[in-house]
Amino acid sequence: MRSTALPILLLPALALALLVQGCTTPTYYPPRGGRLPPPVIEQGSQAPADQRLPPPSVSVPPPVTAPVARPQPPAVVALLDTAERQANSGDLEAAAASLERAIRIDPRNPVLWYHLATVRLSQGDSQAAEQLAAKSNSLASGNTVQQARNWQLIARARRAHQDERGAATAEQRARELSGR
Amino acid sequence: MTRRRPRRRKSPRRKRSHKPFPWLKLLLVLLLMLGGYIVWLDIQVTAQFTGKRWSLPARVYARPLDLYAGQELTPEQLVAELEALHYRPVRSVQQAGQYSRNREVFHVMTRPFTFWDGEEPARNLRISFSGGRVSQLAERTSGSAIALARLDPVLVGSFYPAHNEDRVLLQLDKVPVSLTDALIAIEDRGFYQHHGIAPLAILRALWANIRAGGVVQGGSTLTQQLVKNFFLTSERTLLRKVNEAIMALLLEIHYSKDEILEAYLNEVYLAQDGSRSINGFGLASYFYFERPLSELSVDQYALLVGLVKGPSYYNPWKHPERARARRNLVLDVMARLALISEEEAVRARTQQLGVGPVGRKAINTFPAFLDLVRRQLQTDYRDEDITSEGLSIFTTLNPQVQWRLERVLSKRLDELENGLRMERGKLEGAAVVTSVQGGEVLAMAGGRDPKFAGFNRALDAYRQVGSLLKPAVYLTALEQPQRYTLATLIDDGPLTYTARNGDVWEPGNYDRQNHGNVPLYQALAHSYNISTARLGLALGVDKVILTLRRLGVEQKLNPYPSLLLGAVEMSPFQVTRMYQTFASGGFATPLRAITAVLASDKTPLQRYPLKVYAAIEPGPDHLITTALLYVVREGTGQAIYQALPADRNVAGKTGTTDDLRDSWFAGFTGDRLGVVWVGRDDNQPTGLSGSTGALRVWRDLFAGFNDSGWTQTLIDGIEYQWIDPATGLLADAGCLDAVQLPFITGSAPTEYAPCVRGIGTLPEAVDWFKELFQ
Repeated sequence: MRSTALPILLLPALALALLVQGCTTPTYYPPRGGRLPPPVIEQGSQAPADQRLPPPSVSVPPPVTAPVARPQPPAVVALLDTAERQANSGDLEAAAASLERAIRIDPRNPVLWYHLATVRLSQGDSQAAEQLAAKSNSLASGNTVQQARNWQLIARARRAHQDERGAATAEQRARELSGR
Repeated sequence: MTRRRPRRRKSPRRKRSHKPFPWLKLLLVLLLMLGGYIVWLDIQVTAQFTGKRWSLPARVYARPLDLYAGQELTPEQLVAELEALHYRPVRSVQQAGQYSRNREVFHVMTRPFTFWDGEEPARNLRISFSGGRVSQLAERTSGSAIALARLDPVLVGSFYPAHNEDRVLLQLDKVPVSLTDALIAIEDRGFYQHHGIAPLAILRALWANIRAGGVVQGGSTLTQQLVKNFFLTSERTLLRKVNEAIMALLLEIHYSKDEILEAYLNEVYLAQDGSRSINGFGLASYFYFERPLSELSVDQYALLVGLVKGPSYYNPWKHPERARARRNLVLDVMARLALISEEEAVRARTQQLGVGPVGRKAINTFPAFLDLVRRQLQTDYRDEDITSEGLSIFTTLNPQVQWRLERVLSKRLDELENGLRMERGKLEGAAVVTSVQGGEVLAMAGGRDPKFAGFNRALDAYRQVGSLLKPAVYLTALEQPQRYTLATLIDDGPLTYTARNGDVWEPGNYDRQNHGNVPLYQALAHSYNISTARLGLALGVDKVILTLRRLGVEQKLNPYPSLLLGAVEMSPFQVTRMYQTFASGGFATPLRAITAVLASDKTPLQRYPLKVYAAIEPGPDHLITTALLYVVREGTGQAIYQALPADRNVAGKTGTTDDLRDSWFAGFTGDRLGVVWVGRDDNQPTGLSGSTGALRVWRDLFAGFNDSGWTQTLIDGIEYQWIDPATGLLADAGCLDAVQLPFITGSAPTEYAPCVRGIGTLPEAVDWFKELFQ
């Protein structure tokens, strides 16, 4: 139990990472209205002046907005602390419950999904762990640190269910991401 | 008959005359029998008293309301939650279960509660609101910030055993002393002295009854009353009286006074609620006053004690004067025995009865949702465990969402009927609301009347889904990026399909028009039948079926071409499962109504964990959800924005079946997914399409939520390009109708549309696009 709970000890450091992560995850906001103004000419410089077009007829918000740095709710940080305490005292299912509660509050936070995956792996449920880490990945675009971590976890999970080749692939992904 | 009688009379006589000392033997036999009988009673008493004494119904709780700074919550929502929990609004908060409000600042003293993950202590909270959010959460006395707190959960129902007895178990040390004092003072003053029966009390009662010329006083001790309730029927025979006395004595031999008193407090019959009997003071407190025993005042204890004598005779709703007189009598006795002071008694006598509103209390508030909970429990528990083991079941129900759903569904159906000049009550509806990432069922409506516990349409109404199925066809296509992209033009011209058996199929569009070549995303957005059918036939119906299987559709599917246009019957719950996968980034999530189950002693029994598994690759999921966004922005779902703010992205799909029999809408924001069905039970046409019926209900519902819009996370392997929809080719600023569409890397068209004028500007566009988020 002691050795399996070890990854959880990293939680405080990750809680910090999580605070940073909130500011770096790029988010794409898809089209908000019928036709979108092609941004080329306004930005570009290559089109000759006489070819410049009048402003687009439909006024809609741009498809991409700069990521909003949203403050991490202290509630989520508190639940991560609780989960860590529970995991260190060997109560992994309680830790999972705390993490699920945190996910209820902040469902798109990849760090929380990653920790839930870690707990499941510690409990020996490598299938669930792999899926949860993949879920974390799907929410962690642009956050290569988190992605690399997820792939490392996926590698361990795959190894745990005797998928050596899959594990090697995952490790490769993790290395590529860390090297970037 | 006539022949037997004489024989019977003769035989005893004959026996008696022949045997010596018959009376001695008889006496011996009688003594032996009596001894045996007492032993038998003793076995009964000990077996029942020591073993499981009561079958306790399972209690079903809504999700507890978490409270934290930054949370989206309005003061009104908090008040609604507190009211559902029967917290009392007061000027100054003194005890648990009370709150005060000063505009946007609340003081709440929460009740302690045992959850799956441990005890939540009672807390004295100060909650401040600002702009529809909790701005501060603090400990009231110290003022220090609290990161997270939660209220006790709203009890939303119980699963009763067949005999319909209900109680909330009490432990003696948790019962207020004033209650037990009053009870003993009124019912059995000698309780701590006697050995189960009190002959003197019986004589006293007899004397009082003779004087009064009728039964005015009972001589039964609490022990006898307990025995009567516990082991015996209510018939009034001498034998029963004898049994009662013997068993009372036996009980006292085996058990302590405290054990007997505790059992009494939990057993005594205190009210009738329809077919359900209310037993014990624990539940009676909720039944009469809507709050736990510990929060009652002395006059309320006195009323409860007074009711022991005759719950229907002293029924405080039907006979308030009798109840008041009885309560005041109890108060007088308490004052006389100095259990309360004279001033306290005077004050208590002037109090109102204080009982809650009349009516049946604990009928299950949300029958459709409870139906789902019960079905999910039945996969793990036997029926008798559910109704008798006193389980605490923690669910995902969000009462705020549920209340709103019930309100908007019945209101909108009324309006639709009015608009259609339809006979009232013909139109039915059902809906499911879940959380997008966790797959938790937040609310469910099984029909128009939310209190009707019958046919649960959300789970059991299997209706044709029509165009709701189309995303599965398009997803199947988009999973082959070398063949299909969102920009691929597909043919919406007339289609005649001849099956191998010679059957001819000629699908038509809803607007009876053909639309020529349309880009794939628009064909879905406008829900064109012909292009969808052509696409599906090119892909193969069996391929589409495989996709549906991955999306969690389990029932038998016939590989006919009509399947492509939704000739498949599904329940709203199944549709929810399918759309859940789209909404949560391609990860299927089993829809959960239960999070955890506790045993009656509050030890954790089982948890229902959050599980996900990848069902759709992130790339294709990104594409299909983009198309679903266009459904609501430009297609059949546009009416959403008549009520929702224009900057809130919603992805969804309408569904309409032949002759307007079924009206569907499935849609999601960044936080919640909702699926609504509107139709008639007799499957007659309603005159409603997906967007004129179900969509309206969805819109009414979601207009009340402050959800974040659906956001796409830009993932690896996806790139965006400007596209000219008329040709499906690359666009630039020369193309006024250009749209920016996502492509699986390498699958975007490489040719430029005719409208493109400044060749070579596109790479910059892409760079500009990328810069914004890196």
